[in-house]
Amino acid sequence: MPPIGWIPVWASPDLKFTASGCAMISIPSKAAFAVLLFLTFSAASSRAQMASNRDADTAAIKQSVAAFADSWNTHDGHAVAMHYLEDGDFTSIKGEVSHGRKELEDHYTTVFGTFLKNAHTTDTVKSIRFLGPDTASVDIDWLVTEPNAPGGVLRKGLVTWIVTKRNGQWMIMIYHESAF
Amino acid sequence: MISARVKIAVAVFLFVSFSAAVSWAQMPSNMDADSAAIKQCVAAWEDAWNRHDAHATATRYVEDGDFSSTTGIPSHGWKELEEHYNAIFTTFLKDAHRTDGVKSIRFLTPEIASVDIDWQMTGAKTRDGQDVPIRKGLLTWIVTKHNGEWMITIYHESAF
Repeated sequence: MPPIGWIPVWASPDLKFTASGCAMISIPSKAAFAVLLFLTFSAASSRAQMASNRDADTAAIKQSVAAFADSWNTHDGHAVAMHYLEDGDFTSIKGEVSHGRKELEDHYTTVFGTFLKNAHTTDTVKSIRFLGPDTASVDIDWLVTEPNAPGGVLRKGLVTWIVTKRNGQWMIMIYHESAF
Repeated sequence: MISARVKIAVAVFLFVSFSAAVSWAQMPSNMDADSAAIKQCVAAWEDAWNRHDAHATATRYVEDGDFSSTTGIPSHGWKELEEHYNAIFTTFLKDAHRTDGVKSIRFLTPEIASVDIDWQMTGAKTRDGQDVPIRKGLLTWIVTKHNGEWMITIYHESAF
């Protein structure tokens, strides 16, 4: 009978039982027990950390949304494109696609040079759903104002992002928007 | 002379490397199979929708699935989803028929994918009973694989 817990098969040949019974535990068993304790403890502490990481990640995602809005509001096509992954995907309210930083920068430079020249965006995170530790789906309430638009409102709707964490930074992998 | 332990370590290393190589090689063909399975999942959902079967439409989602309408109104989880579909199938979408075509799929991991779907609808009415000749737009889904089956985790739609 193994003394405590589960001992891997490869450790058991060294298991020794003395005449005094099971009270004495061999050194390899002790080592296995220590490993087991360590793993249990690590699992428990990583579970506890997950909750606080989620809070930190939620805050970091909100910051990345705010930073994107800042770049957008300075009408800097390059800076906006850099919030995406190198192979990021954008889809407009009409379903038109831009893929990768070059196309993204071209797209933003075009819109900022034309009908969004005087536009201002306000983006508010509505909800975040984590798909994994490094991937999340983010719903963002979206309001674009423009002095010449009827009532000053050019666009209003929902932006949905898939964001991913690269080198500690949350970046846009996939961007969709809908206006209503 | 090589000790038994070293031999075992080498064997384990070889086994792990070989497994990794095999799974690497399998990845593209799995993606093809998964793309096909995702398209089937879209078709099965479309079919349930066109039968106006609210329960079958809702259970194409994961149990805690998220739906967001063209005007940003959310439904969360099977119960709310089924209520939502029941409400629309008995009112302004009573005679509606939809057609969905997968436009693109992007895998986030082997078991999570983002899917863009072109949609069109005929037979819809406005909330105050006027005929809408045609509605169309884009559905964007996050699908996840559970026990070999792809299901909707997050559903967004836009109309244009």
